[in-house]
Amino acid sequence: MGLRPAVERVAARAPVPVFAVAGAGAQAQVDDLLLQPRLHLVDSPAAANVLLIAGSVPAHLAGELARLHDGVSRPRLSLWWSLGSSVAPPMPPAVEVLDADPSVLVEAVVDTHRRLLFGELTSSPPVLPDEEPAPWRGIGPYGQGGTGMTGGVPYGRPMAEVAPDRDGLRLDQLTVRIGPFFARFPTGLVLEVQLQGDVVQQAHVVVAPEGEAAVEVDVPTTFRDALNTPVPVSVLELERARSHLRSIASALVAHQLPSLARRVLRFASNVHPDQSEDVQRLHRLLRRSQVLGWATKGVGPIPSDQLEGTATGPVARASGVDQDERTTDPAYLGLGFEPIVHDGGDARARMAQRLAEAGQALQLAGRAGDRHHDPEASLESPRGRLAVGDLPAQRLLPLLPAVLEGMEWGDAVSTVVSLDLDTDEVLALRSPDRELPVP
Amino acid sequence: MRAYLDPGAAVVSVAVAMVVGVYVVAVIDGTAGRLAAGAGRSDLGAVLLDPLRTVALLLTQRRRRTERADAPGWALAPGLLGGLAATGLAVVPVGPGTAVADPSTGFVVFATAIAFVMIAVFLHGWSPNSLFPLIGAYRYGAQALSLQIPFLLAMLATALPAESLAVMDIVEAQADLWNVVRQPLGLPLYLMVGVGVSFWGPLNLPDGADLIGGTSAEDAGTDRLAWELARAAMLFSIAAMGAAAFLGGWWGPLLPGPVWMALKTLFLLVVMVSSRHLVARVRIEPFVVACWAVFIPLALVNIFVSGALLL
Repeated sequence: MGLRPAVERVAARAPVPVFAVAGAGAQAQVDDLLLQPRLHLVDSPAAANVLLIAGSVPAHLAGELARLHDGVSRPRLSLWWSLGSSVAPPMPPAVEVLDADPSVLVEAVVDTHRRLLFGELTSSPPVLPDEEPAPWRGIGPYGQGGTGMTGGVPYGRPMAEVAPDRDGLRLDQLTVRIGPFFARFPTGLVLEVQLQGDVVQQAHVVVAPEGEAAVEVDVPTTFRDALNTPVPVSVLELERARSHLRSIASALVAHQLPSLARRVLRFASNVHPDQSEDVQRLHRLLRRSQVLGWATKGVGPIPSDQLEGTATGPVARASGVDQDERTTDPAYLGLGFEPIVHDGGDARARMAQRLAEAGQALQLAGRAGDRHHDPEASLESPRGRLAVGDLPAQRLLPLLPAVLEGMEWGDAVSTVVSLDLDTDEVLALRSPDRELPVP
Repeated sequence: MRAYLDPGAAVVSVAVAMVVGVYVVAVIDGTAGRLAAGAGRSDLGAVLLDPLRTVALLLTQRRRRTERADAPGWALAPGLLGGLAATGLAVVPVGPGTAVADPSTGFVVFATAIAFVMIAVFLHGWSPNSLFPLIGAYRYGAQALSLQIPFLLAMLATALPAESLAVMDIVEAQADLWNVVRQPLGLPLYLMVGVGVSFWGPLNLPDGADLIGGTSAEDAGTDRLAWELARAAMLFSIAAMGAAAFLGGWWGPLLPGPVWMALKTLFLLVVMVSSRHLVARVRIEPFVVACWAVFIPLALVNIFVSGALLL
């Protein structure tokens, strides 16, 4: 036996490096893949051999998806986990998994990777041509850039230009687009950022181009169902606890603690009404690891006056805005429900808020009995007031540019993560109405 | 005349030590990760074998090139980092009179190796010609500059009682009292900063999660493998030097000296490696401020007190 087949056989038993794109209706399932020991979820396409596309990815992201695919290391293949979506991804996948059971998916991924290694499947060729996006063209006589050594748009990419920085110096400033598949952001979120070093001088939220076919927010979830049919309050509250815990798990990943994130995800997938003591234990753990400490203290503060009336749930309540649709919901009358409010308004307060609300939700679920939420009453989702055509993400995103300005990139990521934006809602954002800036 | 191994034996012994050290780092990391995740049953087979399987996987993964990358630099960076780790390791004595190299300036050799880490990381971030690696590279510039001063000051204090810059003499001088007792500030400073110099866990800012891997965001296959190996080797090298400079090296009852040295290195490795699963990523700005405003003064106090006690 040669050396190469031996190495391939050992490699086939390693955790498979997967870059996962969570499309509409797939965020929670993709987050939970962190619990699978046979998969290794990676942040960068370069580290992956398998590109996993989960749920539905809208057609307007086809170009970006192709670029992502071409960035995945060879031997590579893309795999679609449909999760009930009938809309195939804009880039035809090599393997389709129709079963929503994660263990079936893991089997398929491991098998695909093994067959790739053994040459039974061929690595997928690049989708895009290997050529410059634009010719080398500047304004100088030799095609060089703009002013002095910098400037211009060689090969279609803007070069750095000097601009004043916060210390009064003039330093290079680079404009870049981050997203829509940036591992720390919800799929579809694109930030156009002016970076000076790793300080964000300016940020814009780029929404999907006008006139593109929209992804309808039609993926059924507990809270979206509650807009049309009566749903038991206990079911809603358990789902709320789950959602908050998942959000905390994503924050832990962003703070480089994936092992603790696994612990929280496992807790989230088994939540039970009499587990509010475990929430206390989790709180201590997060304080000790400094995730509820210097890692988030003072990061991304949003003053309460900007959140007044936005009904953005935990984000608003973490800034001291006492607004919760459940106070007026008849289903919650007599349950002893009082909104929890934190002050501080920073990433730490938002995480502490979600943790406290998760504990409260578990208690409410235990007390709710067979009460049902009436679809006529207003609905408090884990991210704030939810109504048809009125999405919390649409109310939160306009706040982002002002919050991110002047922030170090690591803090900017922590801030975006602390807003707990819903992927389905971000993908469904259409018109750049409200104060959402148009790039 | 101080002891040196002949070149062939020196290369082999450093290489063997590094391979063992890197594997131990991977096993500790896997164990600590599973404990922190609270995974029910422990899977010893996976802990012991997954590092080897991952090595095999990275060997099968094709290397990847970005547009207009600096190919020589990209290939050189992990080599430089690994070489620096080897250089640092070579001057660490494992027993009385037993070291790969014991120059009279062993301390300076180690300090120089640490100072050059910044160049390896910067080169690694610069070469792919890509956004996130470049941000990581510049970030490490700021981080390393602030870290290395307290690191070297903490180490320098250990040379005072020995009145020598030879690492062998520094260990020899700890026969009755280890430096960790003599200079209680030294070891915590050294470990904290050592985690930063090998950019691991909470101080992994150049390759951080917010930069989706930072300087290694574009690495695939053997490039990634080489970088990860070099990084773990650097961690091992720092732990070994910490054991020699602060925990009395080979001194200890009953067991032979090299065994004590191995146990102490293992202990420091456990402390440093498991930080990755216990503490969140630090924020670079407050951290740099803390380095200059707190850690450098503390390291100076450490030196002054150590010096005063010797007078």
